[in-house]
Amino acid sequence: MIYTIVYGFTIGAILYFISIGLSLTFGTMRVINFAHTLTYTMGVYALITLVALFKGYFALVAILSVILVIPISYVIERFVIRRLYGESLDYTFIATFAVSLIGVDAIKWIWGVNPYPMSDPIGKYLMFWGLSLPIYRILIVMIAILLFLALNTFFKKTIVGKIVVAALEDKDGVRCLGINVDKYFSIVFVLGSALAALGGVLYAPISSIHPYMGLSILLLSFAVVIVGGMGNLNGTFLSAFALGMVMAITARYWSQGAETMVFIVMAIVLIFRPIDI
Amino acid sequence: MLEIKNLDVAYGHAKALHDISLNIETGQTAFLIGRNGAGKTTLLKTIIGLLKPLKGSITYQGNEISALSPEEHYLKGLRYVAQEKKVFSNLTVRENIEIAAYASGEPVDMALDKITSIYPKLKDFLKTKAGQLSGGQRQILLVGRALVGEPKLLLIDEPTQGLAAIVIEEIVSILSGLRDKVSAVIVEQNLAMVNRLADRIYILKEGKVAREIVERSEISDTRGLEEYL
Amino acid sequence: MRSKESTLNKAPASHANPLNAYPMKEHGFIDFLVITAGFLLITPILSVHRVTDFMIFCIFVMSFDLMYGYMGRLSFGHMLFLGTGAYGSGLFIRYVSGNPLLAIMAGIAVAGLLGMLLGLIIVRTTGACFALINLAFNQIGFFLVLSPLRQITRGEDGFGVSASKLGFLNFGSRPIMFGFVLFCLLLVFYLLKRLTSSPFGIMLRSIKEDETRVRFLGYNTFLYKWLGFALAGSLAGLAGTLTALNYNYVNPNAMDVHSNVGVVFASLIGGAGTLYGALVGGVVYMVISNFLPIYIHRWEMFLGFSLLIITFRFRKGVWGYILSLWEYGIKKRLLRRSTEEVANR
Repeated sequence: MIYTIVYGFTIGAILYFISIGLSLTFGTMRVINFAHTLTYTMGVYALITLVALFKGYFALVAILSVILVIPISYVIERFVIRRLYGESLDYTFIATFAVSLIGVDAIKWIWGVNPYPMSDPIGKYLMFWGLSLPIYRILIVMIAILLFLALNTFFKKTIVGKIVVAALEDKDGVRCLGINVDKYFSIVFVLGSALAALGGVLYAPISSIHPYMGLSILLLSFAVVIVGGMGNLNGTFLSAFALGMVMAITARYWSQGAETMVFIVMAIVLIFRPIDI
Repeated sequence: MLEIKNLDVAYGHAKALHDISLNIETGQTAFLIGRNGAGKTTLLKTIIGLLKPLKGSITYQGNEISALSPEEHYLKGLRYVAQEKKVFSNLTVRENIEIAAYASGEPVDMALDKITSIYPKLKDFLKTKAGQLSGGQRQILLVGRALVGEPKLLLIDEPTQGLAAIVIEEIVSILSGLRDKVSAVIVEQNLAMVNRLADRIYILKEGKVAREIVERSEISDTRGLEEYL
Repeated sequence: MRSKESTLNKAPASHANPLNAYPMKEHGFIDFLVITAGFLLITPILSVHRVTDFMIFCIFVMSFDLMYGYMGRLSFGHMLFLGTGAYGSGLFIRYVSGNPLLAIMAGIAVAGLLGMLLGLIIVRTTGACFALINLAFNQIGFFLVLSPLRQITRGEDGFGVSASKLGFLNFGSRPIMFGFVLFCLLLVFYLLKRLTSSPFGIMLRSIKEDETRVRFLGYNTFLYKWLGFALAGSLAGLAGTLTALNYNYVNPNAMDVHSNVGVVFASLIGGAGTLYGALVGGVVYMVISNFLPIYIHRWEMFLGFSLLIITFRFRKGVWGYILSLWEYGIKKRLLRRSTEEVANR
């Protein structure tokens, strides 16, 4: 049972990394970015390339992979997302999905379709009450908590953070105070994409790596954002971990039903609390 | 100072303003009155750049501004206070002013001093989350935000709507203290306020200017104005 | 060029306005001829079996377009109804009776019923909420036929479907299948054409443009939306039953969530909100996804770029673009004629 909890928290942490960016993009630009997990996938593939080059030094390679993904997310924001401000849902869906099509195909082209194996970079276990818990997974959860605290500080203490919080509530109000909000939203977008890449990089050693990995986790991230509330930072944190637990517990009793259970929760939430886009 | 000529504004295919023309001199306070739906809010939103006109021109201090964005309008000294009384509710009063000061370049403390000198009671609320303020306090915060930096033209939409009489009185006194220093275009239903502060009045009806009043004597004729509300 | 907001202020989001795009003609018979000729023409190039596939997909796209183009609601889970129709009719043949016509009606009925039930909840929502809640139910349906109902549906393996002969209707024969599907397609086309130019159709479009106004006028918009949703579901179910009969096989792929991408693309490529657009889009998408991979190795990338171009430049889709070219041609001719008249005076 403890294992289930640890696994639940691990998945929750990864979902949190990915969903933060999605939630902020939803909340600020009102754009549903179907290409969001492209940076997730690209971060992973950058990782496996660099790991082959620099054997060992996982932490360094991980950070490098995340940084490499940043220019790509900037290009996506500049040429696609920015044009989608205020657009209706169907066009943002098509355009961002098209971006993801292009990206996934590019990955298939360069790296091929076959899954890459990768193993736990730490490989050590913590002895806890007679159970051995993988340290790596615990580390992921700790990083997630650190990130949560960092983001909270950012949004509460820095002026940029406050501008974004204000703009999430009243974009026109901020604009009428002379601040070019779109510029800050772009920064938020790139930040969110980098975090998604971080999630991918951290999860890669304990998951299966293939070009479509982004798509499968994208839908789950949507569920997290819907349940947690768009643009709601604390809500996203809680719902990520809650849904991670839902998945872990469901997987224990009903292995194929894990993802579906998440969707059932999302459907229930949507029925009682419809969102407004 | 502000000159609007033959302005047409539409939402999608529905025209909201037809051939609007009006004129404000520097230091004047003009009021827009009219029934709900007459187009007053639309007009203010177009002046500040949230809406773009189909045709016509808006000239401010000699320059055509209708194509500019709200951010650019701000830098020219125009300030907009919307009807909905939306503050940044998750931020404190102080932080609301911080954001207002950000683009203007004015130091936050200077901005705070300026506003608390106009409305000293605000000093007690600096650390309160703006969402917890009462309607009247919010309105004062919004006017305060608009006064940061060097405002030249205030565009205020129904400042006294839904407020208690005491609060209305406070707002009227703040605004009258600003007369001659700052120009203003104010949308209002409260005719007593109009009477006290107006230098000219524009009456809007169904998207057109029904009447322009520039004479002091006509402004005091509140009964004549009531029929337009 | 300034931002798009400068040319027109934001009205409620609307796609190419179907009302003024194409004058409503009453030439129903010509439509049938054109469509039949169109499909017959491409048959020698591809095969009978392929074109049947295409036509079934076109029916699916038309059902989707009813919701998307006319009602203005984008769904990411329309495959749910196709799958329900497929399983409904497949299970009917397997466990109840081999009569294909009854099976088709059973499939449509089940899909329609599901549409009516889910519609009660779903139709209240709009935009992203609507899209995602459909997705959720699609995913749930997929899971249901895969796992818990495995005893009946045979899970991942699926099951074979062989309908018995009914008079001359032998669905085992390809030409007969082709003919029957074509007949269904024409029927659906006719039905939707009458519907969309009827008061009901105009009501749907008005709701898409500005629901609040329609409600203020006293209409029960919920009822109309619900009916539209249930109808779209039923027609998708029809497409599903035809799929089952065409392949003689049903498996969870009939409810695959990822296939929703195809129908959304087809709707957009063709042009949302016009029936011909749905047909054109359906065929174009089928051609692209079936044949492009053979010639262009990186077809998904190509598709991605094409879609970006369509989204940012050709909003009205292929058919919409053709229509606007046609309109432009007419306008030019009229202009030329009137200037000639003036010159001749």
